[in-house]
Amino acid sequence: MKNFLLFYKSSSISGKISMLMIALVFFVAVFGTAFSRHSAFVPSDSAFVPPNTEHLLGTDDLGIDLWAQICEGAKLSLTIGIFSALLSGIAGSFIGIICGYYGGFFDKFVMRVSDILIAIPSLPLMIVMGVFFGAGIQNIIFVLAVFSWTGPARIARSKVISLKTEKHVLVAESYGAGIFYLTFRHFLPEIFPVVMVSFIRLVNRGIVSEASLSFLGLGDPTAKSWGLILNHAISFKGIYFTDFWKWWLVSPFAAITLTVLAISFIARDAEKFLDVKL
Amino acid sequence: MRIFRKRIPEYLITLFAIITLNFFIPRIMPGDPFTFVSSEENSVSTVYTDEEVARLKAYYGLDKPLPEQYLNYLGNTLRGDFGYSIYFNDTVLNLVGGRIVYTLPIAISSLLLSCLLGCLIGCMSAYKRSGIFDRVSYALITIFSQIPSFLIGVFFLFFLAGKLGWFPLSGAMKAFATYESGFEKLRDILYHAFLPVLTLTLAHIGEFYLLSRNSMISVLSKDYIVTARAKGLLKKRVLYVHALKNAMLPIITRLCMSLGTIFGGAVLIENVFNYPGLGTLMRQAITYRDYTLIQGIFLFFAFTVLVMNMIADIIYGKLDPRVEL
Amino acid sequence: MRNLGKKILLPILALSMLLSLSACGSKTGDTGDQESKSPVESSQANNDREEPLVITLSGGDCGYPSPYLHYSRGPGSFKMRLVFDSLLEHGEEGLIPWLAEDYNISEDGLTYTFKIREGVKWHDGEEMSPEDVLFSFEYQTANPPVGGISTALGKENNIITDMTIDGNNFIVTLSQKSAAMLNNLGSVRIIPKHIWENVENPKEFTDEVCGIGCGPYMITEYNKEQGTYKFEAFKDYWGQNQEVDVIQFVPVSDGILAFDSGEIDLTGITPDVYEKYAHSDEYKIINNPGFWGYKMGFNLEKAPALQDINVRKAIAYAINRTDLIDKVARGAAILPGEGYIPQQSVWYNKNVKAYEFDPEKAKDLLDGKTYDFKLTISSSNDEVRMAELIKLNLADVGINITVESVDSKTRDSMYKNGEYQLILNGYGGWGGDPELLLSQYAYGAIPGYSNEQINKLCDEQLLETDQAKRMKIVYELQNVIADEVPQLPLYNTTGMSVYRPAKYDGWTYMFDHHETTHPKISYLAEK
Repeated sequence: MKNFLLFYKSSSISGKISMLMIALVFFVAVFGTAFSRHSAFVPSDSAFVPPNTEHLLGTDDLGIDLWAQICEGAKLSLTIGIFSALLSGIAGSFIGIICGYYGGFFDKFVMRVSDILIAIPSLPLMIVMGVFFGAGIQNIIFVLAVFSWTGPARIARSKVISLKTEKHVLVAESYGAGIFYLTFRHFLPEIFPVVMVSFIRLVNRGIVSEASLSFLGLGDPTAKSWGLILNHAISFKGIYFTDFWKWWLVSPFAAITLTVLAISFIARDAEKFLDVKL
Repeated sequence: MRIFRKRIPEYLITLFAIITLNFFIPRIMPGDPFTFVSSEENSVSTVYTDEEVARLKAYYGLDKPLPEQYLNYLGNTLRGDFGYSIYFNDTVLNLVGGRIVYTLPIAISSLLLSCLLGCLIGCMSAYKRSGIFDRVSYALITIFSQIPSFLIGVFFLFFLAGKLGWFPLSGAMKAFATYESGFEKLRDILYHAFLPVLTLTLAHIGEFYLLSRNSMISVLSKDYIVTARAKGLLKKRVLYVHALKNAMLPIITRLCMSLGTIFGGAVLIENVFNYPGLGTLMRQAITYRDYTLIQGIFLFFAFTVLVMNMIADIIYGKLDPRVEL
Repeated sequence: MRNLGKKILLPILALSMLLSLSACGSKTGDTGDQESKSPVESSQANNDREEPLVITLSGGDCGYPSPYLHYSRGPGSFKMRLVFDSLLEHGEEGLIPWLAEDYNISEDGLTYTFKIREGVKWHDGEEMSPEDVLFSFEYQTANPPVGGISTALGKENNIITDMTIDGNNFIVTLSQKSAAMLNNLGSVRIIPKHIWENVENPKEFTDEVCGIGCGPYMITEYNKEQGTYKFEAFKDYWGQNQEVDVIQFVPVSDGILAFDSGEIDLTGITPDVYEKYAHSDEYKIINNPGFWGYKMGFNLEKAPALQDINVRKAIAYAINRTDLIDKVARGAAILPGEGYIPQQSVWYNKNVKAYEFDPEKAKDLLDGKTYDFKLTISSSNDEVRMAELIKLNLADVGINITVESVDSKTRDSMYKNGEYQLILNGYGGWGGDPELLLSQYAYGAIPGYSNEQINKLCDEQLLETDQAKRMKIVYELQNVIADEVPQLPLYNTTGMSVYRPAKYDGWTYMFDHHETTHPKISYLAEK
């Protein structure tokens, strides 16, 4: 907590605003559905009601309240972003530590696999995997993690390779310290800041990828994600000739843009604060 | 060169793994290329009987056991025979070739544009650090490089093309246009490619901007430069060249690496602008489970990325790695 | 070495930029340049009218218009039919003689005699002969074209015992009667023997001559990547005058924008923009007949609770289909016929029972019990929206729905393999010959469902060649189906099309098809 306050103080103005913004998104995600008067799933009015006091952001083609859907979308985006980043960050760091520490065949193998994952364009393969695994939220998180673990893994690996030859590590080793001890005592504290920054960036990547997939109509269509609302709006026939876009298209657009920007500003400040360069 | 030679087997193994993956990816997807029971709205589709499906499967060799199919595919790929598309009734090579002429120029020109513009603006904004230009360009460019590119694309499509009608909504050139001169044709093509290229350029400009800006800042902070500048001895142009020379290595490497990611971006952007490139074709190939075509497109993407990585490796090995970053 | 590298790199950069630009210019240019002159030439050749009438429609790539090269989905088959004629054509009211100027069915219903028209020319100038007809049938039975060959002609239920030519007559002999046979025989595309004779692998025969037919239009320009087509009227066409001289298809991403700017001459619209065109003489709006529709399929094997007819009826009563039409189709649809045959079909039985939205009745039928089902849908917007509403409707009467959404191809294969409990599916062709009831309802078409009466009636109507008698059986069949609800039709879409009558006013429909730009009779003088 103390660290966080320090971080907050050291951030730039844009960073501070961003943090407030993300706090707001969190708030909306957790409590938004409780506060909004309408359901995000049941039509509560006629279709295409413009924004008013009853419906803050108006309603969509089925007459479902858009504000409630945006809240629901916030929940979804954050869940997907954070969990996919957690999964890939943790798995990636440990794989990286093992590779860096032991080297050898496993290391070579993992590095080849990550080469392949980098060589195959991720979006197309995500489309294929999305089709294969089906479109549940867990599946999307899993698929995103499959493509994102290589980043943290490479960072952790190179850090461990250089740490491995440092004196205090060598001494600990000579006393019979195993990889678990070394990991928790020496490696993790060292790689934590770097992985932290990459974690924040991965959250962003998760949110963006989910939105892209939903936008292509390949996400989970029953979940109310921002990308999906956008997809519904843009593929609505005659969207150019009606006024519906003013609320139907703009609100998910703004939600994605602001969230992603805020997170990236935080990542930039975190980079400075933790003094790491990716 | 030595490092490079050492890495050749690694590249070959990666390539082999990718080819293998390409074979299994479409086949583990549910469904097959022949079963259709639904159709797009206001359209019809052929529903094949079981007998016809069996006949078609036999025709494309899909009734054979998987290992045999795999070996056939491997042999054909190594011979350079990428097969015949199941849905589009043409050779994969023709189909991919027909689309590359749309995707590649868009990808390459937006990459080069983002590199040139990024470097220029980066140098300019570092020259007067913390000046108005620096602040504005820094803020704008970070914002644009963070917003997902498809959103920028949707924004342009909706306002510039849809609402204002300044740009076409889709396609790569006017249909059945008769051009009076080559110049006019070029103009039409550029007109259609403008928004996709602009979107992709904005998505990638940030990387080069930051690279050149950092390099310029470090050059400017060198003692002799500071003195020379104070005396008014140095021209802006000399400084720019100096800073860019310093940043050349990371910029070139970034160029090579970015070509891979820009393909991924192009897939989305082409779908947004309905541009007839590989991205739109790939999406259709996946929807129709066109096994051979999926294999072909994936192989092309992966192969290009690998070659680009290899070139980046060579540059790293060849040029002095001690160049200040 | 280091300096060399740097010196080389800059020019390379510049060069690659140049290259990419020129590639952009030249390669994409070639495709558009090829035949840019032809429209002018053809318009001069066509002297009937002062100005050649060029109709431009929204298109997109659906394959080269040849029986073996067009794509199996989308309007490719109709583009192909502009170029390739068949023995009979689908008119506004029913089948009309086409390449067969007359036909005759023997008393026992087993011998079909088609009198082949004389003086018909192929697009390459050769004369079409009865030989070509016989060849077309034999060749396409051996090598099925993309559109498949009608099941009745296929191998497994081959009831054709003999095909011969006698002078100008093409004679087909059957082993048993079939009411759908005339349509099936009449729809086979006639292809030139002199071109296809020696083609062993028609699927890979991509030479341009594979687009030579004897239909009213010739394909003169096709660009796969752009998805553009140009069809020009065939001067030596035997039959009716082509009203439209040139038909062009261009891809557009928003039909209404393109229509407003005059890029295309006809577009489909939704009720949301109806007002925009409704009150002007400049525009004319026509309604497509509702022959495209959504249905909900039941799998009685995977969800045994559905074997109870009351549960199926309850679902029919509980779903507010009028609401689906208003919200999902934005009003551009009609309620389906409960006996599957859509309301605008010539075979529709007006007196068929209807299930109006009535949650109370549904609750009565369920008798207080609750059920859980999984509803499989594809991830298309309409189906997702529909599933949301259906879920709410059914929850009201005590049926809990879990929606499972997959991509459309996965859904198709799940449907085919019966891996579902409830499923949504949207497809065209509802207005076709009642033969389709057989494949929709009879003999295990619906997993776990079997009804002797339906099987019997399906067989009977197919064997009945007397139109009036057949109609009676089909009416009866619809009553049984409506009573049993083995699957639930949800709605039939009736898209609207808007066009400028001052430019061209000949748009019409085939008696069994829902699109006005598809039938070739839309472009010909006499309908």
